[in-house]
Amino acid sequence: MTGYLIRRVVQAIIVVLGVTLVVFLLSHLIPGGQARAALGPRANHAQIIAFNHANGYDQPLLVQYWRYITGLVAGNLGYSYKNNQGVAALIMNRIPKTLALVGVSTLLALLIALPLGMAQAVRRNSGFDYSMTAVTFVLYATPAFLIGELSIIFFSFTLGWLPSSVPSDASSLAIFTNPLAFVLPVVTLAALTIAAFSRYMRSSVLDALTGDYIRTARAKGASPRRVLYGHAMRNALLPILTLIGLSLPAIVGGALITEVVFNYPGMGLLTVQAAQNIDIPLVLGTTLVATVATVGGSLLADVLYAAADPRIRLGNS
Amino acid sequence: MWKNFRKVLLSTVATSAVTTGALAVLPASHAGAATPTQVTWAEAPQTPPNYIFPFMPLQYFSVSNINNFQLLMYRPLYWFGNGTTPNLNPKLSLAEQPSYSNGGKAVTINLKSYKWSNGESVTSRDVVFWMNMMHADKENWADYSEGAMPDDIASITVNSPTKLTFNLKSPVNSYWFTYNELSQITPMPIAWDKTSDGAAAGSGKCSSATFGSADKACDDVFTYLSRASGFDPTNPKSDNNAMATYATNPLWQVVDGPWKLSKFDSSGNVTMIPNKAYSGPSKPKFQKFIELPFTSDAAEFNALVAGKVDVGYLPTAQVTSPASSPFKPGANNARLSSYTLDPLYTWSINYFPYNFQSTGNHGNAGKIFSQLYFRQAFQSLVNQPLYIEKIFKGYGIPTYGPVPAYPTNNFISSFAKKNPYPYSVSRARQLLASHGWKIQPKGTSTCVRPGTKANQCGKGIPKGAKLDFALEYASGGTALPQEMNAEKSSWAQVGINVTITGASFNTVLGNAVPCTAGPSCTWQLENWGGGWVFAPDYYPTGEAIFQTNAGSNSGSYSDKVSDAKIVATTVRNVPLTDYQNYLAKQLPVVFQPNPVTSLTEIKKGLKGVLPQSPLYSINPEDWHY
Repeated sequence: MTGYLIRRVVQAIIVVLGVTLVVFLLSHLIPGGQARAALGPRANHAQIIAFNHANGYDQPLLVQYWRYITGLVAGNLGYSYKNNQGVAALIMNRIPKTLALVGVSTLLALLIALPLGMAQAVRRNSGFDYSMTAVTFVLYATPAFLIGELSIIFFSFTLGWLPSSVPSDASSLAIFTNPLAFVLPVVTLAALTIAAFSRYMRSSVLDALTGDYIRTARAKGASPRRVLYGHAMRNALLPILTLIGLSLPAIVGGALITEVVFNYPGMGLLTVQAAQNIDIPLVLGTTLVATVATVGGSLLADVLYAAADPRIRLGNS
Repeated sequence: MWKNFRKVLLSTVATSAVTTGALAVLPASHAGAATPTQVTWAEAPQTPPNYIFPFMPLQYFSVSNINNFQLLMYRPLYWFGNGTTPNLNPKLSLAEQPSYSNGGKAVTINLKSYKWSNGESVTSRDVVFWMNMMHADKENWADYSEGAMPDDIASITVNSPTKLTFNLKSPVNSYWFTYNELSQITPMPIAWDKTSDGAAAGSGKCSSATFGSADKACDDVFTYLSRASGFDPTNPKSDNNAMATYATNPLWQVVDGPWKLSKFDSSGNVTMIPNKAYSGPSKPKFQKFIELPFTSDAAEFNALVAGKVDVGYLPTAQVTSPASSPFKPGANNARLSSYTLDPLYTWSINYFPYNFQSTGNHGNAGKIFSQLYFRQAFQSLVNQPLYIEKIFKGYGIPTYGPVPAYPTNNFISSFAKKNPYPYSVSRARQLLASHGWKIQPKGTSTCVRPGTKANQCGKGIPKGAKLDFALEYASGGTALPQEMNAEKSSWAQVGINVTITGASFNTVLGNAVPCTAGPSCTWQLENWGGGWVFAPDYYPTGEAIFQTNAGSNSGSYSDKVSDAKIVATTVRNVPLTDYQNYLAKQLPVVFQPNPVTSLTEIKKGLKGVLPQSPLYSINPEDWHY
């Protein structure tokens, strides 16, 4: 297992470096480059040249990339001229907010979706199953902005129960100054993921319940509860673990639409802003975070899978 | 089995419900509702202020940093924007109107009796402080252009603490110098004249030196102040945490404007409180002025509906009734019944450039654009009134020349108030046909009579050349793509085939750079959707955008007659009539309708917000319930 982990970590580092290199090179192909994006339509040729020189953008690309990588090793992710802040500071400010939003909503979605999927599987083809399938399909098919706006109209403007936006202070803890404001964005985001998780869970449990080992367990007199929780659920959770692992990038990558609707400045918005502004250090910073999360999530899924299924551990060893 | 399962299921669902419920029942600490003691104002989405030092390089030179932030605390020598006009505002200026003498080579400025918040007077030395910094660090001053201020100043004579004289190297047009040069000056307090936190005020020796004699000292002061604002000129990529100190750094608490910074964070949450020592004409009536950041138009609109903002804006997507005329808004969005709608048009013109050097279209694009008859035909097919009515829902003003016709001003000529090239397909067809083009409506017209005579296609345009062009536009919004499609259809009526492509704003801006005819100079038409805003160069002369080799002359327009007329507007006291009439006829760019800048929403009962300044500035010190 240790050797397996080391191999995966080395692979992950290579992938991360590769992604940063590709993004670095692609971002420098944008017409006008960073100088034009930073200085705007008033910039004259001399100002553009001066900006590029001052920021080292007139150096060969590989030199610039090398400086970026050595800076990374020293913990310096660069400086965002558009935000007048360090990239690391910007990301560290946004990640806790995004983790809170997407993390809590994912947790909420799992808490609802897993039992729901199991119940649907156990009572398959019943009225309950059909109605829950319809509800989850509707949620799955509804765009996030529509759920968000409708929930604001109903819960904020009509009933007046919940705020329509989240406290906007820069502090990562600002959301805790008004937890009520956190409800609508969390529920909106959870509504979208409940459908996916519950459908996976339903299929997975259905699949598990037809297994020979379930028939054997029943034949040996195991109680229905034991069959369901002791045998079917553990096996059914395996594909869900992969799904959870792969949702890690989303947890740090942000939820753009929800952030836009609820005035929630998270990682999703930061990433899009960076790309729109051709803010190359920030583009690289957010890409780095997303890449690490993707690779880390994939690694985590594999580890969880191995932990949940002894056959995988044995196979690898 | 099912009974047990139901129990487990119910308990799990109940846990989820409790979690959600727990979130729902926790008390709100701040509802964010405005009280009579404070007033809230909505920032444009994703553009929070992020620079406090008024002497700034171009990357920080923005409306959100200057007009909506710095100007509330640090007043410029001369304030522009008087009612709905862009004119000089004597009441809000720190000095009396400048007087010109010595044949336009000497400018005398008499300061009024303004005070800094630390009790010191605003004096000539504060003006010289700015000018010395400009002399030392002009490349770091956003509005610097070669030959202009400070290059055109020979010396500055300090006559007294309240009087100084600028001695110029050559005569100037007094309007131009006041509106485009003196407009850049912001007096700085002596408290800023130092090079470290613990140093004494004035120890930087920049404010006390005669003009241009202390470049090294001023450069050190500039570096210190810039670092305190978040920008290190000696290492632009270095990380710092200056923004977090804006509200607490004693430097920035020395103000001469009506407001002082009380809270500030990098997300754009800004709280200002009244400067008790403010010596200007209108004292703040609210105890707090709060700027609120938004991630999107949708979030801002929701805040308006919830009544959390006193002064905000209506996103164009939420306009439900068209305007009967640009300045008479239609009925407000029904969900904003507690607000009054007021459109704001800024002091700007809208256009997109031709690339006169373009080698696109098989080397013919630039040559075709150089023909006045072609530009006249092209412009005659831009139906500005129709686009304003149908695409901008009535919220737009036309652009017919290089001087804005609106808001009402003294600079526009009677000729340029009217469209020299009103929409006319027949005129466009006639112009092209009479110059040797075979018209192919809905196809591509071709040159059949090459040559330079009056009835031929023009210099360098070969037989068989096609009216076939590429136009790239900023596709981020909804109106511009519609407008570009409408114009494409219009041009197609006479066989001008324009292939339109959407791209990001920055990509369009990146492509629309002056170039010299050659293999890489292929862009033809680029529309970033913004034209030009006359600020802080309020006198709408053309030296920055239409003069040969001007830095922002994107399409490399070059005309000796035009150049002479532009120079005349800067060095002699001549009106802009000649210049603007000539360029309105010459069409150096494709003039476009100018959409409304902001559909401002003002909470009913809040007074003093109107009239809005066409120069974007806000004066919350005038606001009151």
